[in-house]
Amino acid sequence: MSPISMTLSRLLLGALGVAAAAFGVAHLLTETRTGTVTQLVVWAAGAVVLHDGVLVPLVLAAGLLLTRGRLRGVWRAALLTLGTVTLVALPALLRPGRPANPSVLPLDYPMGLAVVAAAVVAGAAVAAGRRLWPARGGRQP
Amino acid sequence: MQSRIRPPSFSGRLHDVRTATIVGRLLGIAVAICFLTGLVSHLLQEPPGWLIGHLPARPVSGYRITQGLHVISGIAAVPLLLVKLWTVYPRLFEWPPVRGVGHALERLSIAVLVAATILELFMGLLNTVQWYPWPFSFRSVHYALGWVIIGSLLVHLGVKAPQIAAHWRRPRQGAAPKAAAPQGAAPQGAATGADDEQLVRADRRSLLVGLGVAVGTVTVVTAGQSVTPLAKLNLLAPRHPDNGEQGLPVNRTASAAGVDLKAVRSWRLSVGGPQGYELTLDQLRALPQHKATLPIACVEGWSKSAHWEGVRIKDLLERAGLPDGARLRVVSLQTRGGYRVTEMDRTYTRDDLTLLALRLNGEVLSPDHGYPARIIAPNRPGVLQTKWVTRLEVIPG
Repeated sequence: MSPISMTLSRLLLGALGVAAAAFGVAHLLTETRTGTVTQLVVWAAGAVVLHDGVLVPLVLAAGLLLTRGRLRGVWRAALLTLGTVTLVALPALLRPGRPANPSVLPLDYPMGLAVVAAAVVAGAAVAAGRRLWPARGGRQP
Repeated sequence: MQSRIRPPSFSGRLHDVRTATIVGRLLGIAVAICFLTGLVSHLLQEPPGWLIGHLPARPVSGYRITQGLHVISGIAAVPLLLVKLWTVYPRLFEWPPVRGVGHALERLSIAVLVAATILELFMGLLNTVQWYPWPFSFRSVHYALGWVIIGSLLVHLGVKAPQIAAHWRRPRQGAAPKAAAPQGAAPQGAATGADDEQLVRADRRSLLVGLGVAVGTVTVVTAGQSVTPLAKLNLLAPRHPDNGEQGLPVNRTASAAGVDLKAVRSWRLSVGGPQGYELTLDQLRALPQHKATLPIACVEGWSKSAHWEGVRIKDLLERAGLPDGARLRVVSLQTRGGYRVTEMDRTYTRDDLTLLALRLNGEVLSPDHGYPARIIAPNRPGVLQTKWVTRLEVIPG
């Protein structure tokens, strides 16, 4: 890409982006109840503080504990999968109050999460085994 | 004078531009799908003036697919966002924090992008379980944040375009690693030798495989709420397609909607138009009945196809002297909750598949599915498939 077309594309992206974001902000200012913007800023800041101040430091600490050996990738994949599955399941697990009707949240979520976790651990064990004892009696790569 | 406070240092090697570019691309795809499908949902639910008269009734399962994708890509975006933010986390501690006006604006746009995206995914996820702990309206804030996110993302792409272009492709084997390129973005301890670069590449590949496993897993255990072949693997979604009366999940029950039993007993359907009329349930049952197989697709992401039977809306309107269909206001018996009155575009009322349904999957509609009569139309958000219908009014124009 020539420097000129790069500069033009960047300007275009910036202008489109500012316009789209401004549309969103205008919607917030005009189409929501009074007080929404302040409440939203508080909630958004809270979300960032929880992510940047709690979740990432925990993940980084886990990263430091990960072995540098052959199983590093397996551990990381397993923890990443378990962590995100748990996060995604949390709303169903923690929602207070009774659901509106029996077809809302009809499943046994603790059991579901346990089954998924068991599958992830089993998958990780198989992957770890293949790394530690590669291709025994099988095809050589 | 040297400050005593120092930013933390990061020894990991995957906090680099190449990793950020690869994960960012994947996250960008998920965000784009979320934004576009969300826009479709918004336009179908609250059509602006220029779209009225043109809302598409095809494809029949259009909304089922777009809204299913909306929630699937939103859930898939959770691990993608977490890994992307982990990759660029050291940039949070850039020193000095601000190098000038341009840099300050760039950091501000990133702050907006990150905060809005985390909150948007959080809100969307909680909405799927009908949990609303925040004080503001879900729908208008979710919609507005979508625009803020796509806008700040475009700004971000504009700002980072040279770095993205430089790291779009894998550098050729043996070429100098671009991670150490001019931007000063390379983390401490960046690769120095070719062997080292090989190790970083292998580690990056392994991270991406792990990310793929995480995305695949969260998708497979939740997508079954809308993708029927995956229903058996649906272990963690808020809905299960097989769970609900008459083989179909329910959102608002008759009692939650405040539908009065007495009102149901003395029920009449009133149809407006040049030759407006009223029908009892028996008279309605005596009219030609038509069958249609159409999905209920909820904004919360679940959907399920069902067999419906009832009277075509177009036949009801023709009887009222409106052979070309009309834009309708559909009024329900419900006394509580939103969507008591909904509007239906002419494109739906003219359609052969749009029914005032009396039966569902071979049985008379249950009270929670809208007895005595409900709307079912192709390619429409579930919330507009009004239940307990008692009046069809013609909107002039």
